[in-house]
Amino acid sequence: MDTLNYIILVPMVYFSFAVFVAGVLYRIAAILKKPSITIPLNVYPQKKPAWLHALADTFLMPAVFKAKPVMWFFLIVFHASIFLLIIGHIELIHSFSIFQIIEHDIFLGRGFVGLTLFISLLYFLFRRFSSNARNLSVPEDYFLLILLLLTIILGSELDWARTWFGYQEMTVDGYQTYLKSMLLFKPDISDVTYSGHTFMLVFHVFFANLFILFFPFSKMMHAIFTIPLNKIRRG
Amino acid sequence: MEENLREKLLKAFEGKLTKTIAMYLETCSRCGICTTSCHVFNSMPRPEYSPAARAEVVRRLYKKYFKLQGKFWPSLGEAKPLDDTALDDLDRAAYSCTGCRRCMTFCPFGIDTQQIMSIAKLILVAAHAEPEILSMLADVSISKGESIDLIKQGFIDGLERLEGEVVEKWKIDAEKIPIPTEVQEADILYVALAGAHSIIPSAAIFNAACENWTLSFFEAVNFGAFVGDPGKTRLIMDRIINEANRLNVKEVCICECGTAFRVLKQMSGKQSFKISSITEVHARYIREKRIKLEKNRFKGIITYHDPCQIARNAGIMDEPRYIIKHLTDNFTDLSKKPEENWCCGGGGGLVAMGQDSHDFRMKSSKVKADQVKATHASILVTACENCHSQLSDLNKYYKMGVEVKFLSSMVADSLI
Repeated sequence: MDTLNYIILVPMVYFSFAVFVAGVLYRIAAILKKPSITIPLNVYPQKKPAWLHALADTFLMPAVFKAKPVMWFFLIVFHASIFLLIIGHIELIHSFSIFQIIEHDIFLGRGFVGLTLFISLLYFLFRRFSSNARNLSVPEDYFLLILLLLTIILGSELDWARTWFGYQEMTVDGYQTYLKSMLLFKPDISDVTYSGHTFMLVFHVFFANLFILFFPFSKMMHAIFTIPLNKIRRG
Repeated sequence: MEENLREKLLKAFEGKLTKTIAMYLETCSRCGICTTSCHVFNSMPRPEYSPAARAEVVRRLYKKYFKLQGKFWPSLGEAKPLDDTALDDLDRAAYSCTGCRRCMTFCPFGIDTQQIMSIAKLILVAAHAEPEILSMLADVSISKGESIDLIKQGFIDGLERLEGEVVEKWKIDAEKIPIPTEVQEADILYVALAGAHSIIPSAAIFNAACENWTLSFFEAVNFGAFVGDPGKTRLIMDRIINEANRLNVKEVCICECGTAFRVLKQMSGKQSFKISSITEVHARYIREKRIKLEKNRFKGIITYHDPCQIARNAGIMDEPRYIIKHLTDNFTDLSKKPEENWCCGGGGGLVAMGQDSHDFRMKSSKVKADQVKATHASILVTACENCHSQLSDLNKYYKMGVEVKFLSSMVADSLI
């Protein structure tokens, strides 16, 4: 069991991150190597400055708001929550004063960010079963949603256990020791593997590993391409 | 399908993979927001008529042959091989899309389904599985360009027969030629369609504005673009560019044909002459007071259909409304925003396919007919030949009770 924990918490994390970084860079390079299209592909009327409208299209999704306001709500909640969780995980490596503009314990939102993310993912998953979306969906769509759902349930449980139930066995210090050691390539998992709660962390990291491993080869690349494509539409 | 044919088709596919198109193929999350933006889906709600579903037909081939995921785990993205079944799917996808790009305005990623369908059309061309009529029409246009000297005299004789009707609309000095051709250094080279309706009203308006103009020997429509053959599109476009350069004109004015205007304006690259649509030119004449129009000559409510290739895809939205303002006090718009107007349902070569596409064109454009009926207009005006033909067919099929007119003919009939 210790060996399995070690494999998931150390070599698999390194491997997944390496594939993620190399994969994303490779995909971007592969696109950049292709010839440029010579015809304008924007739609009219053009609004200036185009880059500002492209950013608004990307982050505020006004077209989605107009067409499907409920979906827009969950998309905004989902992406904002992802952003907050990325900050939370960075704080698990090191605390930065800039993130403490709003004073908080590690992970803003006292566990509610994970909960809103969970609810958003349930919405995204269940809407795939409605007729229009079901006909368009491919296994990849369910696979990614289920991977994220499992990662978030386990990650949230870790956070809730710590903050809601006064569960003190695996502390922020313990996570920081583990993550810092990973960053310095001197892996030390002792602080996160002695607790009865370890299996939650191991599963959380395992599903997160799978997700980032798969990222460059999936539709998740929309995270990279949405801004340039919206800029092309805006002209 | 034989292996060497598949390789040939995949080579054609690869040739279309520019940076932008590759990003379009990589990015779709199949959220389905685009589904209800398509007039075909709204009129005939079938899953295959969602823009994302059409694009997925091409995307599944892309995954199979150009993505690691499709090579190692094809079932995950439902990657599909390029075979005879795939060709049928490509045909259904490409020729149920009019290339109106309305879905693009709703897509959170800005994916251009028309561009993805251009891959489908090119594969069909490479497999000789495209609609034969479109290729034949493109070939006729090209051969006309190659043998222009043989047909010149016949064309000029035909124009002489139209001169009387031009003068009837606007009288000019007897020594002047009502429909001039081959005018060196003309200010405008007017490229019309093959038909008197495209020449007579415009000629009268040019003459009323005392324009130094000349008529092109070629028709504007680009069947190469309809069939999705870039080589033929270029050859058809080049006939006009060469003529404009030979005559050393200042401006090329494209008649009421959306595809012809967009192709020349956006694909011809940098040229020594300006490229305008006839609607822009007419608006300019009114603004500069070179022509005057009798207001309210046409009675009843007038509404305007924005041709997708001229409005949403080329930006000509204010000019037609400016002209109409000089024609009537009784105008009502079809949609709140011109860019969100429903397509007429005849683009992408569907109208040119004639009776072969008639049933689909009518059924897939119910939403358009409903939109027109809701205005209670008596005149439906547009600035595109394709749209005019389709709207006229819809008028009969759905008993819309409107008179479908060209904007240029209304301008010509209102000249004072």
